[in-house]
Amino acid sequence: MAPAFCSEPAQPALQADGQSYDIADLSLEQLNNVVITSVSRQEERLANAAASIFIIGAADIRRSGARSLPEALRLAPNLQVARQNARDYSITSRGFNGQFANKLLVLIDGRSIYSPLFSGVLWDAQDVVMDDIDRIEVISGPGATIWGANAVNGVINIITRSAKDTQGGLATASAGNRDRDATVRYGGTLQSGGHYRVYGRVVDIDDAERAAGMNDGTGLRRRQAGFRADWDRPLGGLTVSGDIYAADLAQPGRADAALSGANLIARVTRKLTDDSDLRVQLVLDHVERNQPLAFIERLDVVDLDAQHSLRVGGRHNITWGGGYRYAQDRLTPSLVYGFIPADRSLHWGSLFAQDEWSLRDDLRLTVGAKVEHNNYTGAEYLPNVRLAWQPGPTQLLWTSLSRTVRAPSRYDRDYRSPATPVIVGNVPRYGIGGGPDFQSETARVAELGYRIQPAPAWSYSATLFYADYDRLRTQEPNVNGPAYSGLRQVANGAAGTNRGIEMWARWQAMPSWRLNGGLTLQRVRTHLKEGSGDSGGVLGVATSDPNHQWQLRSSHDLPRDMQLDWTLRYTGALVRPAVPSYYELDAQWLWKARRNIDVALIGQNLLHPYHAEFGAAPGRSVVQRSVVLKLTVRF
Amino acid sequence: MTRYAKESVPKRQQPLRAACLSLVLLVLGAAGAGAGAGAVAAPQMQAGSALAGPNLERSVKAAYLFKFLGYVEFSGDPGAALNVGVMAADDVAAEVTRLTAGRTVNGRPVTVRTLRDGDPTTGLQMLFVGAGAERPVQTLRNAAQNGVLTVTDDENGLQQGAIINFRLVEDRIRFEVSLPAAERSNLKLSSRLLSVAYHVQKGN
Repeated sequence: MAPAFCSEPAQPALQADGQSYDIADLSLEQLNNVVITSVSRQEERLANAAASIFIIGAADIRRSGARSLPEALRLAPNLQVARQNARDYSITSRGFNGQFANKLLVLIDGRSIYSPLFSGVLWDAQDVVMDDIDRIEVISGPGATIWGANAVNGVINIITRSAKDTQGGLATASAGNRDRDATVRYGGTLQSGGHYRVYGRVVDIDDAERAAGMNDGTGLRRRQAGFRADWDRPLGGLTVSGDIYAADLAQPGRADAALSGANLIARVTRKLTDDSDLRVQLVLDHVERNQPLAFIERLDVVDLDAQHSLRVGGRHNITWGGGYRYAQDRLTPSLVYGFIPADRSLHWGSLFAQDEWSLRDDLRLTVGAKVEHNNYTGAEYLPNVRLAWQPGPTQLLWTSLSRTVRAPSRYDRDYRSPATPVIVGNVPRYGIGGGPDFQSETARVAELGYRIQPAPAWSYSATLFYADYDRLRTQEPNVNGPAYSGLRQVANGAAGTNRGIEMWARWQAMPSWRLNGGLTLQRVRTHLKEGSGDSGGVLGVATSDPNHQWQLRSSHDLPRDMQLDWTLRYTGALVRPAVPSYYELDAQWLWKARRNIDVALIGQNLLHPYHAEFGAAPGRSVVQRSVVLKLTVRF
Repeated sequence: MTRYAKESVPKRQQPLRAACLSLVLLVLGAAGAGAGAGAVAAPQMQAGSALAGPNLERSVKAAYLFKFLGYVEFSGDPGAALNVGVMAADDVAAEVTRLTAGRTVNGRPVTVRTLRDGDPTTGLQMLFVGAGAERPVQTLRNAAQNGVLTVTDDENGLQQGAIINFRLVEDRIRFEVSLPAAERSNLKLSSRLLSVAYHVQKGN
């Protein structure tokens, strides 16, 4: 046997016949290389969270072949992801998807990336080195008590790895028939004892095609660079990170539009005592978007946030904190519409407190509330109560009640269209205008969830939810006479409900084969309230939500350091604009050719030459089959 | 298993070691491929029980704990048992107990006992504090005063005062080491242990 030649003392014979083998006989180096395929540690820790949380792990992303954030988010069964065109996505959870979906809060390393223009995310401006992601936590259901207004239907937390965990070099390059990208990252140590990494990344996405066959002019070319540095100190740490990017956004039949931005995050954590932790974070964010057909915006954000957790008397875990967010939003009317006032300073201030109270060893009650103040509607009150029963270490039954709001965005109050109005008697008459009386949309949500791991090899989770929405956004004919902002105004003319179930399961069928399944069934019902004259129902009244969607994901470890992964997914039909249901298949074959070289062949949307995911035919863009070759080198 | 060298391995042997290691891995890999699974071959060979997921992770941590004992100079009676305490990780405690049964480290037998929050750490040579421990900082501080080798399983384990901390890196269990913490406990770690560590925190 080979080990006989080694200086390694007393190396036991590793017999493939399986008689005398024991893990304690492996050397430190061998232990270093045993691949763990279990659910991640975070998942185990979150197994007792009283919320509908799905974790997308780093390995899930690597194995899926996803090369952008929205594509990685497809791995979460509790999200609905619809690709609008080459660079734009509609992403939501628990319904109310739209071109400008606005009920989901997304954070990258604690930095909120929502746009105050419409309270949603512009996905074409967001990018992260996929290999540096530690995990993505997807929480469906309200998270307002911790995260504030806008976390109405869910929260996505994208968390990158500490610089300590990304030491050394990494280079990836992928090329396919629809897009190409390349990344270089290097991590090292600082003289002060900290660690850093720096990266540069370029992405080039081709235009998609419209259903009718012509080019849609929605491609993108992005350049991005950034860094992260972490210093561990006894009982705490400091993290500083930043990104800078610029993108050219293709425009149909016009010159490219320009998008650029930069951000900086500084975060200090400190363990004050065993029972007390402090976290303070400062975020600076700058975005410039010069898209003559949509937004021409310069946005600067300063966000300061502090949170203190402490344990009291062994039975109470109290978390409290506050935040202040300031945004300076400067807009120039686009060719199509504008905002009045064009420049606006926005302020959000918040205070929250939450107590997790262990009533018994197996019973936890969480009560919390947040008060958040905004420019438009003043103070909003965001309470929630959760009860979790843990009859054993591997199962959890939980329930929750929450109230949450979506505070008005600039679109809801300040929007004006067309950009150049008709002037009648010195009064501009807009076709559509923001509503001076538009109030926050509200949701009251009840949830009941169950998670269990009956055996080490499999686990599942199910969450029932019921949400009651009020004051949903509509467009109403103006009834206020000449003192209007538009012939039609944004108002709170609708209400609705969504009920459904989210389920997912994991099964380690064999040591080398894992299956993941996910299913969401929901019924979104909305109606116009009495007196509403909304005709289009295009704004807030949900009509773009599938009643069901499911996915099945298989991860196979093959001999000779190869892995084969595939995901079959189904999304039900959308009502208006009508989009047919579809099945699609994504697959990746990965070969770890050398210890530091991976080769991957990725196929996306393999079942059809193209399919639609969002928008009205025939003008809508379609998603086409793509094949990509990806090379990863670590040095 | 009594022949593990406490002292560091001379530098000139490193290339040979690396070569041997790759040879071992090659054999492991070939055995794994034969069994139809590359890197997860180890549990398959374990007396017919095809362990998956969490059990493997637990076993690897337990095996590390057992190995760590051989790379640290403990003071005291050279013939006495090495006492290992495990807190907030009963499954790991069970696995360490199973692994160490009938084995010795440098001629010393190993005993394992589970600790509850607040239990004294006197008389222990090593303490493993699981991720769910209630008061890790206080426990680790107390253990440091008693010269105990502390091992944690938490992202911030070293910050909390542990000497060794497990980390999950690219689907593998690795460990990081804090030299200042080892100094505080008056423990000398072998350079072989440090050379295998994923990361070594030096004094600053």
